[in-house]
Amino acid sequence: MKALARALAVPAGISLLFVAGLALWLHQRWLQLGDTGRITGYILFAVMLGLGVLNLRKRLSMVPLARAADWVSWHAVGGVLALALFWLHTNTLWPAGPYEQFLALLFYLVTITGIAGYALQKVTPKWLTQTGIELIFERIPIEIVRLRLTAERVVYDCCEATGSETLGRFYLETLDWYFRKPRFLTSTLGGGRRGQRWVRQQCDGVARALQANEISYLETLRQLADAKALADIHYSLQGATKLWLLVHVPLAAAVLVVALWHLLVVSVYAL
Amino acid sequence: MTDVAMMARPQRWDVPFDPAMTDADVRLLLQRREFRDIKPDNFPPHMPLEGILKNDARLVHFRPGDIVVREGDYGNSAFLVLEGRLRVVLAPGLPPDLHGRQHGRQKGFFEALAQLWTNRRIPEVRDIRRYRFAREGLRHDYSSGNVRVFIQDIPAVLDKHRTAGLEDGAIFGEIAALGRVPRTASIFAETDARLLEIRWQGLRELRRYDENWRRQIDERYRANALRTHLRDTKIFEGLDENVLEAIAERTLFETYGSFDWHLSYKQLMQRGENAEAKEPVIAQQGDYPDGVLLIRAGFARVSMKLGTGKRTLTYLGAGDHYGFDELYANWKSGETKPLQTTLTAVGYIDILRVPAEVLEKHVFPRQAQPPKALISLADRPLSDDALIDWAVDKRFINATKAMLIDLDRCVRCDDCVRACASTHGGNPRFVRAGSTFDHWMVTNACMHCADPVCMIGCPTGAIHRSLEGGTVVINDDTCIGCGTCAASCPYDNIRMVEITDVSGKELVDPKTRQPILKATKCDLCESNPGGPACVRACPHDALRRVDFRDTNPFRSPNA
Repeated sequence: MKALARALAVPAGISLLFVAGLALWLHQRWLQLGDTGRITGYILFAVMLGLGVLNLRKRLSMVPLARAADWVSWHAVGGVLALALFWLHTNTLWPAGPYEQFLALLFYLVTITGIAGYALQKVTPKWLTQTGIELIFERIPIEIVRLRLTAERVVYDCCEATGSETLGRFYLETLDWYFRKPRFLTSTLGGGRRGQRWVRQQCDGVARALQANEISYLETLRQLADAKALADIHYSLQGATKLWLLVHVPLAAAVLVVALWHLLVVSVYAL
Repeated sequence: MTDVAMMARPQRWDVPFDPAMTDADVRLLLQRREFRDIKPDNFPPHMPLEGILKNDARLVHFRPGDIVVREGDYGNSAFLVLEGRLRVVLAPGLPPDLHGRQHGRQKGFFEALAQLWTNRRIPEVRDIRRYRFAREGLRHDYSSGNVRVFIQDIPAVLDKHRTAGLEDGAIFGEIAALGRVPRTASIFAETDARLLEIRWQGLRELRRYDENWRRQIDERYRANALRTHLRDTKIFEGLDENVLEAIAERTLFETYGSFDWHLSYKQLMQRGENAEAKEPVIAQQGDYPDGVLLIRAGFARVSMKLGTGKRTLTYLGAGDHYGFDELYANWKSGETKPLQTTLTAVGYIDILRVPAEVLEKHVFPRQAQPPKALISLADRPLSDDALIDWAVDKRFINATKAMLIDLDRCVRCDDCVRACASTHGGNPRFVRAGSTFDHWMVTNACMHCADPVCMIGCPTGAIHRSLEGGTVVINDDTCIGCGTCAASCPYDNIRMVEITDVSGKELVDPKTRQPILKATKCDLCESNPGGPACVRACPHDALRRVDFRDTNPFRSPNA
């Protein structure tokens, strides 16, 4: 938390001073019956462009353009600054006129996804670490297939060794579905452990019907299912941190386009 | 009785240095003056002199211009000149391209930016026209199958560089071989030359069992490197030359552990065994200290008994010393207290032992304040030991630039991997995976080790330390894809990749039909401006390159 506060302190301080100075200056200008809307509009557009440059910086990692962590700090603070400027510019939470309302809607969505993403990025690393395993997102489906094949092998071995089909039937009716692909994603996304609970319930349920020599196979299946649950957590959380960018970035691009048109229209009519 | 399979216990000489070495070769060698006067009785029955020469030595032929050793290389053998003349390049040293190394040229801003559109989508593309020029400096030795770097214009080198001659009977390379330090000069063959190459194990036995060899090696070490090392040691700071001379005269040399520790360590790890139990003891808790131990190269673990087990207090590396605090306390109090900690070799370690009476005469009287006792580290909570234990057990203490990721900050976005690829022609040079402990991960990225075992045995010197920053880099032009470095790296941080030409066609050797391989690894973006791109690209300040010899490598500079 200290590190986060330290990272944001400088950009936040500078932004605060800037907004305070601007507000004071705008108030003076307003008292003199001057036009404040156009100035705040241009500044807001410039800030939005500046925020958009972060995406460009990610593609330019081969050149020394300061640390990406500093860029993100400035981006986070700049986003809040943009919200303050937006309200200064519109003088309202919800503007009149359908085009302006569309622009405001996009702007709010970008802001909300930005804040949500920032929060997500602060929370998910710890949750991922708590799983005790590390998986690369793109390899998770392979890992799940590996677990499924191992589980199927265990079931075959059990049937062969014990001559009983109970575990095989149990697997086909329950765990086969579970091992097919990542499951219980929304639960894990909220920090829940529904997947592990579900596995426990299913395994406890069938344990009563198994012979003593089948129990060790069930225990192996349970361990594999637990490992699958951890892979699901990684899939869900890592997927969310990638997915939110696919929402935030296109929305941000849309805001810039719509705001540019708004700027052009306003400038043309102001002539 | 349990059903078992039988096999003879593996012996040290099961794999000789060169199977082509014959008894006749050994007989001829024993007639030379270097071996004639050695008393065979001084050698134990299991380690006869003939056995050492036959199994730990080999005859090597060099043609005029062949580079025998390169300045900056880490070698594991010494050489005895049998025939011919060699030249040591004194000053200025040979330029990097003559060594088969790359120029440390850094890209400009716009050249670096151009990678945005020049990086290829096809992995591991190479412009093979470039290799033709590199091959001009390589020579294939068909008798041994080795590839060597050679100097094409010997007169030009003799004109431009100050050199000294080495002739029949000269021995060189022994300090680098025993002390695990880089070679200090390049040596090349001026005429056809026949050399006896003795691997470090054989050299160690010759030094151990023959007085003349020991005296010769020790005197050369005393003359060349010891005084410099003592002068650079903190506890001897400010001593005048005469005192340093007196200390040097009494200093003893010792080595512990295996030079090839990386190979046995890898095997232990693969078997899931604990390497700590196999660490040779240098000084035992409870023994009486007889001198301070200066660590010249390698690493050692400082531990103490705890109940029926033991705990690791810290680790020591080159430049550190052990036993000084206890000796000082004994001198000050007049008591004779034993050592309070145990020192064990982590891998290979080269030690200088300075006797207590020398310290009592020259050093302790000048000591203004008592030195900090190593045992004071035992005051910290037991739970704090875990991180150090992990770093020592995994040998991360060897790292000068380990990629350490704080998993509590890392969102697993892989921006670091993409940044790495963007500076290496579209090919990432590390994998964001590795060993984890708590919320720390040391990834599979080259750690630019203090003891770079990967550099031992590279036939062309393609893997080397850059002269600019000491980074371990691979010259792609002279890498022959033998995989020696990748097999040696204890951390699996070097990858052999199959290369393709600019049109995307896989390159295959016409003779063997096998793909052409190149060794690749992190080079700390040495040719790129701004340092490692991975560190700069991390949006959450989760990734750092750390030196595990620092006091606390886990403490973030921004925390």
